Amino acid sequence: MDFVVIAIIIVIFFSLGSAVIGMLRGGREGSDKMFKALRVRVSLSVFLFLLLMFASFMGWIEPNNILPTQ
Amino acid sequence: MSNEKYYVPHGTYWPIIGSIGISTLFVGFANHMHQVGWGWPVMLLGFSIVAFMLFGWIGTVVNESISGTYNKQVDRSFRWGMSWFIFSEVMFFAAFFGALLYARTLSVPWLAGADNNVFTPELWEGFKATWPLISTPGEVGQNGTMFSTNFKLVDAWGLPALNTALLLSSGVTITYAHHALRSGHRNALVAWMIATIALGVLFLGFQITEYGHAYHDGLKLTSGIYGSTFYLLTGFHGFHVTVGVIMLTVILYRIQKGHFNADNHFAFEGVAWYWHFVDVVWLGLFIFVYWL
Repeated sequence: MDFVVIAIIIVIFFSLGSAVIGMLRGGREGSDKMFKALRVRVSLSVFLFLLLMFASFMGWIEPNNILPTQ
Repeated sequence: MSNEKYYVPHGTYWPIIGSIGISTLFVGFANHMHQVGWGWPVMLLGFSIVAFMLFGWIGTVVNESISGTYNKQVDRSFRWGMSWFIFSEVMFFAAFFGALLYARTLSVPWLAGADNNVFTPELWEGFKATWPLISTPGEVGQNGTMFSTNFKLVDAWGLPALNTALLLSSGVTITYAHHALRSGHRNALVAWMIATIALGVLFLGFQITEYGHAYHDGLKLTSGIYGSTFYLLTGFHGFHVTVGVIMLTVILYRIQKGHFNADNHFAFEGVAWYWHFVDVVWLGLFIFVYWL
C-alpha cells in the first residue's frame, strides 16, 4: 500500500513540474499545458486522500502514533 | 507588451527603502533576542517598513505592467524569475523532508545499533529506536526516564484530516477559478477566489487549534528530533499558507480592478501554482508525518 501512495505522490510532483514548464513557456499553448497539468494534480490529490480513507477503513493501512503521553 | 525596448526602471527608491527596512528589522530582532527593551518596537518598525516597501514596489510593477511598459522579453523574465523562486521553494521543503527521512530511517536506528553497530550502542546504553522520538538521548524525558517511549494513538482522521480536506478543497476551488478566468467568466472567478481564500483562512485557524492541542499534550519544539522536525515542517508550511492567502487576496483585488484577461494573467498563474505547491506540501506532510 505504501508503494501505491508514494507512486501517486511522485506523479503529483511530475504534474506540478509539468505545470511550471507550461508557465515558463507562456502564451495560449503554455497556459493550456499549465492548466491541464494542475487539473491532473488536483484530481490525483483528491483521489489519494479518498484512497487513504478507503484503505484505512479496509485496514490496509494504519496511521502513525503521534502524540506522547504524559 | 507594446514596447520593443526592454524596460529598465531608473531612479527607483524602493531598493534603499527595502534595505533600511530589513536592517531595522534585524537590529530590532537581534536586540529583542538579547532582551533589550527597545528591540521589539524597532523590530515592528522594520517589519512595517518592509511591508510598505513590498506594497509600494509591487504596486509600481503592477502599474508598469498595466500601462503597457513591458514587452515579451520582460514577460519571459518574470516567468523565469517565478521558476527560480519555485526551485528555491522546492529545495527548501526538500531539505526539511530530507531531515525527517534521515532522522527517522537512518540516524535514530543507528543510535540503537543498526547498520554500523560497532560504535553507536556504546553512546547511549539501553536506547531503543522508536518513532516518534520525542526526547533527545542523554536528556531525562518527560516520563522521568532517559528515553521517552510512551505514546498514545491520535486519530489521524481528526484535525489533520479535516485540514487536508480543507486545503485539497481549496486546490479544487482555485482550479475552478483558473478555468473561469481562462473562459472569461468574471463572476464565477471572483466567487471561486473568495472560496479559496476562505478555505485557506479556515485551514490556518484549525492549524493553530491543532498546535494548541499538541503543545498541551506535551509535544514541543524541544521534544526530541520528532518535535523539532514536526514544528519546523508544519510551521514553515503554515507560514507559506499565510503568504499564499495574502497573495490570493492581492490577486482578488487585481481581478476586481480588471487587471487580467483570458490570455494575459501571468500573476494569477504564478500565485495559483504557488497555492497548488503549498497544497501538495501539506499532502506530503499529512502522509509522511501521520501515515507512512
